[in-house]
Amino acid sequence: MCGLVWLCAGIPAVPASEPETRQPPSEDADDGPVKLTDSDARRARAADRGRDVVPLLETHCFDCHGAEEQHGDLNLQALIQQLPLVRNARSWTNVIEFLRLRSMPPAEDADLDEADRRLLISWLRQQVDGFDYSQVDDPGYEPARRLTHQQYNHTVRDLFGVNLRPADRFPADLSGQSGFDNSANSLQVQSLLFERYLGAADAIVEAILSDRPRTEELQDAARRILSANRDQRLSDAKTLKSCIARLLNRAYRRDATPSQVDRAVAVFNTARGEGLTERAAMRRVLRQILVSPRFLMHLEENPNTAEAFRIGAWDLANRLSYFLWSTMPDKPLFDQARSGGLLDETVLRREVSRMLRDPRAETLGSVFAAQWFGFQHLGTRVRLDPIDNPWCTDSLMEAMKSESTLCFVELVRENQPLRKLIDADFTYLNQELAEHYEIEGVRGPQLRRVVLRQSRRGGIFGQGSVLAVTAFPGRTSPVVRGRWILTDVLGIPLPPPPPDADEFSEELEESRRLTVRQKLERHAGKASCRACHGRIDPLGLSLENFDWFGRWRTRVRGRRIEAEVRLPDGTEFEGPAGLKRMIVQQRMDDLAAQTTRKMLAFALGRQLEYYDEKTVRGIVGAWKQDDYRMQSLITRIVTSYPFQYKRNPRSTGPRE
Amino acid sequence: MRPGGLISRRVMLRGIGASLTLPLLDASLRRTAGADEANPDQRRLAYLYFPNGVAEGAWEPRRVGPQGRLLQLNHWMQPLEPFRDDLIIPRNLWTPRGNGHGAGTATWLTGGGYNGARIDAGGASVDQLVARHLKGRTLLPSLELSLEGAGFFSNSLPRNAISWTRGDRPQPRDTRPRAVFDRMFRSRSGETSDRSVLDLVLEDARRVKREVGAADQRQIDEYLEAVRSVEKRVAFAENRSRRAGTQPELQASLRRPPEEIPEDHRAYVRLMLDMIVLAFWADATRVATLMLDHGQSNRYFNFIDGVQGTWHALSHWRDASGKTEDDDGVTSWNSVKQKREMYNRVVRWHHEQVAYFLDRLQSVKHNGTSMLDNCMVVYGSSLSDGHEHSEDNLPLILAGGGGGTIRSGRQIAYRRETSLSRLHLSLLQRMGVDRERFADATRPLSELDT
Repeated sequence: MCGLVWLCAGIPAVPASEPETRQPPSEDADDGPVKLTDSDARRARAADRGRDVVPLLETHCFDCHGAEEQHGDLNLQALIQQLPLVRNARSWTNVIEFLRLRSMPPAEDADLDEADRRLLISWLRQQVDGFDYSQVDDPGYEPARRLTHQQYNHTVRDLFGVNLRPADRFPADLSGQSGFDNSANSLQVQSLLFERYLGAADAIVEAILSDRPRTEELQDAARRILSANRDQRLSDAKTLKSCIARLLNRAYRRDATPSQVDRAVAVFNTARGEGLTERAAMRRVLRQILVSPRFLMHLEENPNTAEAFRIGAWDLANRLSYFLWSTMPDKPLFDQARSGGLLDETVLRREVSRMLRDPRAETLGSVFAAQWFGFQHLGTRVRLDPIDNPWCTDSLMEAMKSESTLCFVELVRENQPLRKLIDADFTYLNQELAEHYEIEGVRGPQLRRVVLRQSRRGGIFGQGSVLAVTAFPGRTSPVVRGRWILTDVLGIPLPPPPPDADEFSEELEESRRLTVRQKLERHAGKASCRACHGRIDPLGLSLENFDWFGRWRTRVRGRRIEAEVRLPDGTEFEGPAGLKRMIVQQRMDDLAAQTTRKMLAFALGRQLEYYDEKTVRGIVGAWKQDDYRMQSLITRIVTSYPFQYKRNPRSTGPRE
Repeated sequence: MRPGGLISRRVMLRGIGASLTLPLLDASLRRTAGADEANPDQRRLAYLYFPNGVAEGAWEPRRVGPQGRLLQLNHWMQPLEPFRDDLIIPRNLWTPRGNGHGAGTATWLTGGGYNGARIDAGGASVDQLVARHLKGRTLLPSLELSLEGAGFFSNSLPRNAISWTRGDRPQPRDTRPRAVFDRMFRSRSGETSDRSVLDLVLEDARRVKREVGAADQRQIDEYLEAVRSVEKRVAFAENRSRRAGTQPELQASLRRPPEEIPEDHRAYVRLMLDMIVLAFWADATRVATLMLDHGQSNRYFNFIDGVQGTWHALSHWRDASGKTEDDDGVTSWNSVKQKREMYNRVVRWHHEQVAYFLDRLQSVKHNGTSMLDNCMVVYGSSLSDGHEHSEDNLPLILAGGGGGTIRSGRQIAYRRETSLSRLHLSLLQRMGVDRERFADATRPLSELDT
């Protein structure tokens, strides 16, 4: 019996992997996990899918995981036909793990012969883990999709120079499996949203082109739209045309065609003909622009070909700016797109380093890192009653988020090696946050860079933001933190817990006497628990000195915290400093692969598919030669095959 | 009359700007002489979803007479007692393919399995099939509403989506009462009318469609569809207001909700329920969904007397140690019994709100028939016992007479493992959708009217 409710029951939604699917029953294993031998591998290599593998699955699996029933929503009968199997690597990895741990097939059903079990595991491993990606050639396809609400807000800000944030009250963007809200498969324009776009367009137009703009800032915005300089009048046809063309080019984020310009000019002139003022006529033009798909959506030019093709300079400019800035391109980038210079790799690299120096690149921390690590939710999901918790202020939570943002941005701006994400001797603090951390000598509300003397802070695991979002309000959970480190930070996949997992002790009195650590040690009693919790729990336990809001503590309920832990492979370490050292010494390749996957998915605005693994592996291998320096990763991503190329999907239906 | 709602009979029309358009029910509702079995136009369909299931036994009526006649609900269901004769409590309905907080929520109304990698709930949801069928007959094809989710998972897609236009197309939800009200009852006032802007936009989008490649056609089609549906709504509203008759009671009930979401959770829930009543009353739409929270709500209900801890933690009632992964570590309970009691109180609190809703529907009357008589309200969860995480015998209530097609006041015990999809199919057919199958269901629940 496991002493605690399992993962599936209550993990906070730290990044958005969905630890959802429940798997069919497992039994206590008497023989322990399967260890494969060379002869298993030889047999598997000689095995044939149709002749040897499908019949085994049919006998032992399809009854519950076939066309008729799909326990745990798993249909192996269908999956085994979807080749290569790496298409569904996640499902197969779980199958392998359950077979290996003998959780499946359930013991009460016809047992799987030991030799057959070994054959299955070994064959599936060869298909999935041993898949030869060199034969793959697919850059993938990024479909047309709408801006995220954040991108919309930023784009409106940069288009008009006024931060109106009209999308703040739109129905919230949700995120699926990629963990990022910019994933194409969750970004459609529905009528409810279109109504909001209409309302926002009205609000923007009324604010900026009102007959009596309320502020000087708004007046400036109006001036920028209405004329290039004060003296020119829109009644001059040439000025009008250039004025509208400039607006269209920027709103559509690529040069408008002459006929697009002419049509907008015609709208203006018609309005004038109806007796409207210049301003009122321009309002009509702008309203239409703001609800056009050319403004609301990412639209790329796709030649009609079955081959992979290189994307054009305008599309590249847009990809670049929404990746690095979460907003529209600026003038220099537009210029490089217009001239085609951006297609030159030297120019592209120069643009990347220019853009990373720009303040807008802070979104790599406040959007990308925040969604990867989950700290964007601090302050919305973690919120306490201010009367009982006067210390938990909005300003503290803002500072915590800013700390994580600024630390990540510094890694990028200063081209630091990735290990500084884990282990750094600096952080960013203001007085309130420094007091929260019990660090002295920081005064005032402004965050500034602080060099740390103690090894407990510094690096992502010492930051209050992530420590809070990986805890429950009021208490820590080593399981949640451990799972977060393993799956979200290091990218190690874990199978879902077996379904009998949420049985737990009702012996309350006994349970009350135990420390968290003692309760977690119960996981060790059962092979199917131990297999994952042996890896999860120690990682989380090493951070137990950080309370649920990231404050340092040495005791819990009167007992001293023991933060010495031991991993299944025998590695021992203690506390956050030990955790950091362990990861920097042993797990950098995992961290680098995960960072690459996350950043590539974010850059492309879609979930990664099996064929992207080739790119990921290529980048990680080369990146290592650069000491995993951050700008090297970014450059490799923007010059990568899927960032630079596309291929039309074979059918217009949903892709695999 | 319970206080706290928007549609109080005492409330008079006040402070409504001149721009308010009343798409008054003209012919449609006034024709309702009595529940008319042959005419599904009067019928209304609502789904009220709540997360986290209920404790074992809390959904069982206390006394049931011959043929399942409901004689007395139980202590926890007491708020619904006044509507006992308007309810059907089905037993042993379940969802064979998707369950739990994520997949179960996403597939509650689709009857499919959930594929997280593709974001696919297995098909369109029942409410959206009805909406598709009724398109063009009402101001809005459907309403999709939700309360702002509380706690972890507030942005998780499967936990926040019960309405799907297709398997891979979740509908966004309105969470702001004022926004819902404005969609139905206010025309927007721009210098250019919506229609001229919309015409230009449609023209532009059609060009875009010709420019983009084959693979992006679908996205642009969806955009065009969104624009057209807004265009239709504008036309519909204009048409309606021109023909607007007099419905003093409805007019008197139209008060624009406050801009901000009420702090008081009960007031918030009731405002959202009021929006559905208004929508049905004005025939602004005939089908609506409301999520009373996201599928794994961690909302605190400490404002209910004697309740502490988050909803999801309470749902794991069998462990009262206060130290499980679900608990907040601050709250503790004396016993399993006490924790279960709190869990039940949270559910009963929701019954109170639903009773308010049923009361409002019942109070809207025409020629002796109440709106409730014409309604089908499905109220329930995608989990059975929140602790066991079971999906068999889901807590469900079907309220309302379905325009004379439902014989209420009964508990109906179905055979074990009867698919919830059969209920969906039954209601689809009652809404006039010509379908013989829905998800895994090939026949409706015939026992509803016999």
